[in-house]
Amino acid sequence: MEQSTVKQSAAPILDVRDISVSFGGVKPVRGVSFSIEKNTFTSIIGPNGAGKTSLFNLISGANKIDSGEIYFKGDPIHSIHAYQVAQRGLVRTFQGAKVIRRLTVVENLMMAVQGNPGDNLWGFLNPSARKRFEISTREEAMLRLEQVGLSKFANDFAGILSGGQRKLLDLSRALMTSPSMVLLDEPFAGVNPTLVEKLLEVIADLRKNNEITFLLIEHDLETVMNISERVIVMAEGKIIADGLPNSIYDNELVIDAYLGSRRKGA
Amino acid sequence: MEAFIQPGFWVFVLTMAGIYGIFALGLQIQYGVAGVMNFGHVGMMAISGYTIAVLVIKYEWSFWWAALAGVSAAALGGALLGLATLRLSGDYFAIASIAFAEITRYLILNADGVTGGTQGTLAIPNPKGFGGYTDQVDVILYWIMDRLYPIFGDETSRDMAMLSVVWPFLFLFIWISSRLQKTSWATVLRATREDDDVPASLGKNVFRFRLQALVIGSAFGGIAGVFWAVQFMLLAPEDFLRIVTFYGWMILILAGATKVKGLAIAAIFFGFLYGATRFLDFWPISELSSPERAYLRIFLIGLVLVLLMVKRPQGLFGKREEMVLE
Repeated sequence: MEQSTVKQSAAPILDVRDISVSFGGVKPVRGVSFSIEKNTFTSIIGPNGAGKTSLFNLISGANKIDSGEIYFKGDPIHSIHAYQVAQRGLVRTFQGAKVIRRLTVVENLMMAVQGNPGDNLWGFLNPSARKRFEISTREEAMLRLEQVGLSKFANDFAGILSGGQRKLLDLSRALMTSPSMVLLDEPFAGVNPTLVEKLLEVIADLRKNNEITFLLIEHDLETVMNISERVIVMAEGKIIADGLPNSIYDNELVIDAYLGSRRKGA
Repeated sequence: MEAFIQPGFWVFVLTMAGIYGIFALGLQIQYGVAGVMNFGHVGMMAISGYTIAVLVIKYEWSFWWAALAGVSAAALGGALLGLATLRLSGDYFAIASIAFAEITRYLILNADGVTGGTQGTLAIPNPKGFGGYTDQVDVILYWIMDRLYPIFGDETSRDMAMLSVVWPFLFLFIWISSRLQKTSWATVLRATREDDDVPASLGKNVFRFRLQALVIGSAFGGIAGVFWAVQFMLLAPEDFLRIVTFYGWMILILAGATKVKGLAIAAIFFGFLYGATRFLDFWPISELSSPERAYLRIFLIGLVLVLLMVKRPQGLFGKREEMVLE
């Protein structure tokens, strides 16, 4: 594995140590290690089947690792449930942009908020606290919808949204959890250029104002190169390169595995 | 045909419709909100009813404490069922839940030293030599009958008193349940109907939410069991056959699973469908023997349900657009 010059601070927000997983005979992730610094933007690229989404499934707790360790904000998260990982502030979006079709768009967002007294059965006995929380949550949700241009669909079932709109909803929903780190799984794939612009704007705003760390899986190299401070390249379940965007572009291994001969000649 | 025009019969039908309505309310929370397909709901009613009978007859508890214990036992039954099997995906859970209800029934059937076995609660060994458990409730029912007598005269019956108790409770429970379904707790559950990964990725413990829905639904099954026990004054294992669960499902499907407010109407509809088909003794149906007609009745109920599913798959009160979303 070729490492180039990306500075690692003493206390990374995410620390992945030599993790592997296999499903039957397939080993989608094989001994992957990397760490992510707080408030940075890192992208993972690689050919289809490289293990990128599997890696996200492991980090987010959706699947359990066979070996290795994962630390988030210094605490081990490899043996806890997916919902506990999310509760600690590490959330993800989904490759296919999963929305809850039979909930309204605004309900999709509102259910994401943490610490809702209405989520608890005891909250049923305290309607005023529930109401207050709901009002502020709805306001926040409407603001987020405004941001991505979905506010006119707020009270429609999310099932009526197009693929691109679902991606916007998926991202907004992840942000509703007030996360410290977001894993974005191909948020731009199949989204038209204006919506991509919008998504990038939202992300840029967040990076300016908040302290959210992003880890992105993406195939569109132009976007990756523009947005990322660091790029990790995966192939066949392993990391084959890790460094600054420019260094990745000229890396022979990466050209062979991912960028193809077209780049070689260029 | 004579019974057809007798009010007493319809009072009974309506009372039972109310009890089934409460029973179906449990299924509505479990399936309509949480998407949990419980085919063993009758087990909760059996647990509750028998807990009451045994505690009152054998251990001489007060009926009220026994009723509380019965509902709690049903809720506990739901918790046990859930802890053991709720991690199974939809269809497998449904199968496991049938097994749960059957195990419950067979336990009741075979623990005759406690439950009276095949002979029902009349055979529960007891100090007084009489196997009744409704004395304390009957005081109230007779008080109500005294109040109803000036209005209905000789038509006044215990069933009528039950009717006037069951239906206010059904409406109260529908109201509580519809309030509950407006909370974010219910929103998360509705999300789990479609997908486990999304709610989990947003920090929601899907298993906990589902288990709570199962327990609350089971408690409603238990409450239905209390009313059932009071209505019939004795219980036998064959009261709690699988078909009872499916009567509850019929009401739920009629109402539209996601719409709690339709349950009362659907319960009445079901009651009349079930009650009225008893009177199919006109020609050509009268050519059939009585057992044959009994089967025809079930067949016709099924047919009405099938037609309803074809014409209104969302139920009488459901939203069609909610069903067709991809």
